[in-house]
Amino acid sequence: MAHLAMATGFILILIGFYGALTNRNILRMIVAFTVADSGVNLVLVAVGYMRGRTAPILDNTVPAAEAAARIIDPVPQALVLTAIVIGVGVTALMLAYSYKLYEKKRTLDITKHTELKW
Amino acid sequence: MVSAIVIIAAALAAEFMLGLFNERWRAAAYGVTLFALGFMAFISAEWVWAFAVYDAQPAEIFTAGVQPPFAINLRMGFPEAALTLLINLTGLFSALYLRRALLEKGRAAMAVLLVFVMAQNGIVLTRDIFNLFVFFELAVIATGGLMLLSEDERAVAAGFKYLIVSQVISAFLLIGIIFSYHATGVLNFDLMRPEHFAAAQGGAIAFFLMFIAVVAELKPFPANGWALDIYESAHPAFAGLFSVASAAATLYAVDKLLVLGGPAWLPVATGIGVVTFIAANLLALPQRNDRRLLGYSSVAQIGLILAVLGQRDILGDHYFFVAGGLIAAHAAAKAGLYWLSGLVASRDIIGWSTLRGHPVLIFAFVSFIALLTGLPPFPGFYAKWELAVALAGSGRYILLALILIGALIEAGYLFRWLGYALKRDKPSEEISCDPSAVTAIIAALAAGWAFAYLWGDLSAHGNILHAVPLLFALSFLLLDWLPAWVKNTVAIVGMVGYFILNYTDYDPLRLIFAVIILIGGPVILLASYDAHGRRIGFYPSAMLMYAGLTQLIGATDFFSFFVAWELLTVGSYFLILRGKHSEPHALSYIIFSLGGAFLILTGFALAATVSPLPMFEALQHLTGETAGWVFLLLAVGFMTKTAAIGLHIWLPGAHAEAETDVSPMVSGILLKAGLYGLMVLMLAMGKQRFYGIDIVHVMLWVGALSALLGNLMAIFEEDAKRLLAYSSIGQMGYALFGLALMNHLGWVMALMFVINHYIYKSMLFLSAGGVAKRTGTRLMYKMGGLITLMPLSFIAVLIGIIAVSGVPPLSGFGGRWIFYNAILSAEHRLPMVITFFSGPIAFLYLFRLIHTVFLGQLKDENRRIKEAPFWVILPQMLYVGLLMAFAIVPGLALRRVDTYLNQFFPEGGLNWEGITITSQFGYWSPVSIMIIVCAIFGSLFAWLMFINRRAQKVKQFNIVFAAERPYRPETTHFAWNFFAPYRKALGFLVQPFVTRFWETIADILHTAGDIGRRLYTGNPQTYALHFLAFVVIVYFFWTGG
Repeated sequence: MAHLAMATGFILILIGFYGALTNRNILRMIVAFTVADSGVNLVLVAVGYMRGRTAPILDNTVPAAEAAARIIDPVPQALVLTAIVIGVGVTALMLAYSYKLYEKKRTLDITKHTELKW
Repeated sequence: MVSAIVIIAAALAAEFMLGLFNERWRAAAYGVTLFALGFMAFISAEWVWAFAVYDAQPAEIFTAGVQPPFAINLRMGFPEAALTLLINLTGLFSALYLRRALLEKGRAAMAVLLVFVMAQNGIVLTRDIFNLFVFFELAVIATGGLMLLSEDERAVAAGFKYLIVSQVISAFLLIGIIFSYHATGVLNFDLMRPEHFAAAQGGAIAFFLMFIAVVAELKPFPANGWALDIYESAHPAFAGLFSVASAAATLYAVDKLLVLGGPAWLPVATGIGVVTFIAANLLALPQRNDRRLLGYSSVAQIGLILAVLGQRDILGDHYFFVAGGLIAAHAAAKAGLYWLSGLVASRDIIGWSTLRGHPVLIFAFVSFIALLTGLPPFPGFYAKWELAVALAGSGRYILLALILIGALIEAGYLFRWLGYALKRDKPSEEISCDPSAVTAIIAALAAGWAFAYLWGDLSAHGNILHAVPLLFALSFLLLDWLPAWVKNTVAIVGMVGYFILNYTDYDPLRLIFAVIILIGGPVILLASYDAHGRRIGFYPSAMLMYAGLTQLIGATDFFSFFVAWELLTVGSYFLILRGKHSEPHALSYIIFSLGGAFLILTGFALAATVSPLPMFEALQHLTGETAGWVFLLLAVGFMTKTAAIGLHIWLPGAHAEAETDVSPMVSGILLKAGLYGLMVLMLAMGKQRFYGIDIVHVMLWVGALSALLGNLMAIFEEDAKRLLAYSSIGQMGYALFGLALMNHLGWVMALMFVINHYIYKSMLFLSAGGVAKRTGTRLMYKMGGLITLMPLSFIAVLIGIIAVSGVPPLSGFGGRWIFYNAILSAEHRLPMVITFFSGPIAFLYLFRLIHTVFLGQLKDENRRIKEAPFWVILPQMLYVGLLMAFAIVPGLALRRVDTYLNQFFPEGGLNWEGITITSQFGYWSPVSIMIIVCAIFGSLFAWLMFINRRAQKVKQFNIVFAAERPYRPETTHFAWNFFAPYRKALGFLVQPFVTRFWETIADILHTAGDIGRRLYTGNPQTYALHFLAFVVIVYFFWTGG
């Protein structure tokens, strides 16, 4: 299960990167990056998974005393939450940028925005 | 003391407070921003103070009240305090600089600025790798926001490119972090151990991913196209902040990671760093855009610091001193230069000439360039020294060589830029003197000098800024508002006073040099009274050169010798640069000089690691292969300064294009620095072999060839000052030849040349300068018949050429007499013959100085000219007297040296009984020679006067032309191409092979840079691919190595 999730995560990352590096359209690039982000998050969660254990929520079914032996590692899950939030922030910023770029040149083709070089 | 977390809390508080403000309360919002940044800087400063003065212990901050790994912790230690102070101060002054932009964009922009600075603080303070990631992402987002402050439309695209690449980088970082967590079970820097990574499956890969992602934030080559675009298009204030704060913070993050990764990763960091350093400097060569050039330079500097981080295993206690010195120098210089670029309207580097007329800004520019190139007294210099010693000490010679090559290329384009700014025509548009911008620049300037003092104080070698001669020179910066004649008097009194106070400390050899520098210098300075106005910039440069020379002969250890060497190089560079057309020549001078200085640095570093003794003894104790290397490196380094053939191409232009009173300084005095270095070297080390080759024998040949070719090139010159410059190459060749004979008389001869060359070359340069000043040209065929109009100059030149050519009765003959004696007792015949033949060749060009300039017929346009100005003539007349005196009593100067040399070369000394000087082959009696020659000359002169009574004078127009009218009349002048037949016969010897060789090297470097920079296509997808390629390359090197 964990391996499947992790493999899926890596495949998503590769698909995302491939999409981001081959599509010229800025919006498609941004979408591709969100795919890659999802892949990264999936990998993060998969690393924390432990076979046969339960979610790291301490309630009646999982008393605090037994928690260490019965729950999966909660840290990666906490990290994923942060990573998702940051990912949203960066995606929003990229979208704002794509709007600005479009406004300036009336095109979303990334190869038309290369005045700065060498 | 305020807790370090308050730095972050204060930024956050201010950001939220800005959110509550009304959009129109911009001034208040700006006030809050400045206050928050100032407060953050204050907290860091307080910690720096506590660590530096009270030896405080590092403070751990546990955020959730529990120990790691259960909560994130921050640490405030000395490095953290210093770096956050640097970041916060840069942030504060950037905010000041950005005043107009921030007030225009409003509170949102201010909040983003605060986020940026806070994020950099967080990167430095945090001890948690995931927290590190969060702060990195905050910095990315804030960078994206701050890019929009720019007025440059292209900044939008640059910001987007950055976001694209940072997405890829952060994916790597996150995956690396999570697998590192998997491998070690913790996220805390202090709880992770190198063993954990090694033990766990895939642990090393996990570390690699994390490491490579953080290193990518340092803009390593080739994954740095995005950064260059940001540097070029961002608001200059932000570009400066980005270059300083991001670099400082990320470098510290890499440092923390390197501790985790263990020693195996150090070479990886060094490799990436040094490749980036060289590549970025090379690609910067063809740059014309100032901000992009600074971008390349930033990338290069950060690469250098990364390379230094990778050397922590050998730097030991000096690690923070070296890395910190480079970071501090980079910070002050880059922030200052970016901020300066905001004042300049043109984006072409030539446009920086608009800074002229603003002495403070020019001084700032010069200081920033010196900071970047690691010149004394700035921290980069101390860092360069310690780094070189450490690298040489542990046998990492290739790395040392690569770093020095990169540094030389960097100096090349930075000094070219400086030359443009100081010499090119000033554009019509004025600079925009925004007071807040100027304040920020002056703050960077002050910081640069404060760092200089601080690093001097921390250095084990003593503070360069405590040396009296240097302080004297620097004080002229403050006196520059005074009229030139006042400063000239101060300079003369200061130098002579220093000599009077110190002359008893010198041994006879040094005393000769001391007299030339500290008494000879003021004599030349007499000519400077001729200058009017304030002559801004002349005295600081000239005094810097003299300070360097004075400290050079006083230096007893490697470090202070090298300091002095660099000081005199820099001073003379600015002095030479003052000439009207000297910009390209000054550049070639500084590049050759710095190249030579790097060889000397390497030689010293090699020698210093072998023994901690003072310089002379340390050199004496070297043995084996090291001795050969040290001797070779130092000899070539010193020969760069004496312009030995092959390394001479900088000299003719530099000496000829310099101002009238500067040419004698750089020729008569400065060249002696190289000879002095050679003398010290050869006295200490004697003959050395380098892989079986006798280096001194090679030097003998170099000296002989310099004498021959220098003189040959001089005879074909039309330009009087260039002629004298080439003649210097020849003269230095004689001196080198004398030293390389390695016998007593060879050395006496070399010292005689040191004195003679100072006197007659200074005198001739002054005469030629005076004549050029009056006739408005330096081309000799445009002169003629000046004997009646400029009789005193004529006398000076006549006496000068008699002395140079070595005919009796003047001191040149003494030199020649010793030379004949010296070669009689030496073994090598062929170089001797070559040197011997150079003598008559010298006579050919000397003859032209009299014949073409002073004899013959007066040109019509010169009919009204007057004698050279009084102050230019006065030192010449002093020199005439000196030459006469030295001719009659050479023993005055030479006798003590002769005795002194006995301890090194006991055999073959001279006997100074009475008025004659006796060698084993014969005797020389200066007084009787003088009497005999004067008697012969007097009687012939009288006879000539007698028979010429009735001679008819040929007037200018007693000439009959054939019918033709020549196209260029001067080509029909007999003085033009005077030695055409010799040129036909010997011209092949003076083909500019050497010039072509060096030009080809420069061309290749430029072309390589121009082709290389096309890598950066401007497309973010290519940039992302560069990053992936970078990862793959580093991975293969890492696994392969």
